[in-house]
Amino acid sequence: MEKTGAEILLQALKNEGVEIIFGYPGANSLPIHDSLNESPIKHYLVRHEQAAAHAADGYARATGKVGVCMATSGPGATNLVTGIATAYMDSTPMVVLTGQVTTELLGSDAFQETDIIGITMPITKHSYLISDPDDIKTTIKQAFEIARSGRPGPVLIDLPRDVMAAKREQSEDEDSTATVPEKQHLESKKDKKQLQQIANYMNMSERPVILIGGGVKLSQACEELAELIEKGNIPFVSTMMGIGSVYASNGFNLGFIGTHGNKLANRIVHDSDFILTVGARFSDRSTSIVKEFAPLATIAQIDIDPSSISKVIKADISLVCDICEALAKLTPLVESKERSGWLGRIEKERKALGKDRAMKECGPAGAFIRDVQTAMPDETVAITDVGLNQIWTVRSWETKTPRGMITPGGLGTMGFGLPAAMGVKVGMPDYGVVVFSGDGGFFMNIQELATISYYNLPVKIVVFNNGHLGMIRQIQDLFYNARFNDIELGNKVDIVAVANGFGIQADRISVEDSGVGIEKMCASDGPFLLEVLVDPDTYVFPIIPPGRSNIDMIGGRQG
Amino acid sequence: MEMRERIIAILVNNKPGVLSRVTGVFGRLGYNIESLCVAETISPEVSRITSITNADSDFIEKVKKQLSRLVDVLDVIELVPGQSAQREMILIGIDLDQKNRPEVIQCVGMFDCKIISMRNDYCIIQAAGSREEMGTIINLLKPLGIDKIARTGVVALQQKDSEF
Repeated sequence: MEKTGAEILLQALKNEGVEIIFGYPGANSLPIHDSLNESPIKHYLVRHEQAAAHAADGYARATGKVGVCMATSGPGATNLVTGIATAYMDSTPMVVLTGQVTTELLGSDAFQETDIIGITMPITKHSYLISDPDDIKTTIKQAFEIARSGRPGPVLIDLPRDVMAAKREQSEDEDSTATVPEKQHLESKKDKKQLQQIANYMNMSERPVILIGGGVKLSQACEELAELIEKGNIPFVSTMMGIGSVYASNGFNLGFIGTHGNKLANRIVHDSDFILTVGARFSDRSTSIVKEFAPLATIAQIDIDPSSISKVIKADISLVCDICEALAKLTPLVESKERSGWLGRIEKERKALGKDRAMKECGPAGAFIRDVQTAMPDETVAITDVGLNQIWTVRSWETKTPRGMITPGGLGTMGFGLPAAMGVKVGMPDYGVVVFSGDGGFFMNIQELATISYYNLPVKIVVFNNGHLGMIRQIQDLFYNARFNDIELGNKVDIVAVANGFGIQADRISVEDSGVGIEKMCASDGPFLLEVLVDPDTYVFPIIPPGRSNIDMIGGRQG
Repeated sequence: MEMRERIIAILVNNKPGVLSRVTGVFGRLGYNIESLCVAETISPEVSRITSITNADSDFIEKVKKQLSRLVDVLDVIELVPGQSAQREMILIGIDLDQKNRPEVIQCVGMFDCKIISMRNDYCIIQAAGSREEMGTIINLLKPLGIDKIARTGVVALQQKDSEF
């Protein structure tokens, strides 16, 4: 039976389990949109390609499946770039499809031609230009394998229009047999020795800590990790990406480390004598001054990505391996210990720092976020944008499931929240979905209110409005002698009216007076936007000043 | 850290765009490529890239790990002097006149070079050897008036116990 390239493509996507594509059509991707008429794959039409990439990213982070987005050549493809970079930094499995000019026009500066493979080379795990319809099946299979294997990431496939339109003879149930060479294994003697040695270090150490990164969720190793923590009586901290890997109410949880992290987490890491790092890459936001990070600790690092080992912090012992497999094999080697001295000391510090202090540190916004959590269903995914809203949310929302909190930690992409929440809702229709954004990030992808309205996606949208770029304001206030500049957004836009104009119910409340607004938002069946007025002087504390180490957190303005 | 020339050999799939992915890694890490040689191996699907970079020892670890992340990179290895054979070839164009001709020809004889193209007023010399030897030849011929040179960059092979 004869099939077009586009039909072969869609069949291959279906074989990979793709049900949803977020995208925006254009002349050079039209053969694919034409064939989508006959495909069970549902295409969500966004209002800007950047949102398609963020939505696919949110979809992937929430469901664990590979997210797929699609745009046409030229401007369509370049608009995806920020979304691809975001996914790359946070290791989201994603396949990006871009239309391209016909093969005979390639390189001729044709209408809507860009070298998108060249542009995205540093922010994709791999990319393909398909120049022969016979390569489609194999390429798609490889692309998905690459996107989800090892350290996951985005893979881009550039699809010239003529290749999509060309016809090829296809047998109905022909299955391609392409495989990508497997690079990871944990069967060698050396690996087993390393594993035993990590266990020895842990058994010998008096003040051990486990540092959890985003890789634990990606490897679906949360249960294995919880078992290790419980067996060894080992307190743990996480990076921002690792939040939610192990349930927060567990007494061993010290919070997350770094610039905006918890004081207790930063202090205990500093005092520890052994750190088992799993799936974390020691970003500068987590370590601050590298030389002063955990000066007393022996550092063990387990990661599936060899390039993450000792990249920033030199690991004394390391293991390149899938975390899930490593932890499952490590736990039996770890001795069950009481560690009453170490845990007692931590408890003492916790008390000294004040039990509810972390709560107060996020001010009225933190209280508001907790009120929202109480009002939303238990099974709710919280999405953040970037800025004060992000720190308030990750510190105040009690993340109970590994995929319960979605935040663009690596790239710090303002404008991520709203479109990502859209993707989460599409992927998890039975879950509550709430996005916390600031007015800055909200305006960056405000057009997606139209998509949310059109598909009637019941996303709850909280916009903290302080009329400013709040986090930048805080930095100017504390570290640039309060010389405020270029941060005032003002309050001339009636956000509630704008939302209503998009066909979305909305309300405006002050952050201190949240009850009725939250009730209204949660009672609504459809999408709902809650504008929450916040004093621009409300910041997030404690914070580590630039150029200082993790134990130099300050709790307010310095004298 | 000791800065010196480091030779890296990279086996890659012989496909379009692969070289630019590989060189992109060097650039992003902030290292300059001093020389680069690329050609297919005994298997036409696989190319060997041999590169020289002036770098400290940290570089080897970093570049190895980053290159190994590339799907089309099959293997990366540092070729250590003493355990590998290294050769480079140069073509040197020289303007000839009555005065320098005897000296040029003498030089060619001394260093086991070859004149591969000769006119009355111009010749092209082929030289092959170690990178140091090539440096010596260039220095010797420089005062005689080198017009231009083309170098292949170093190619190198590890002794047998390696996988290469």
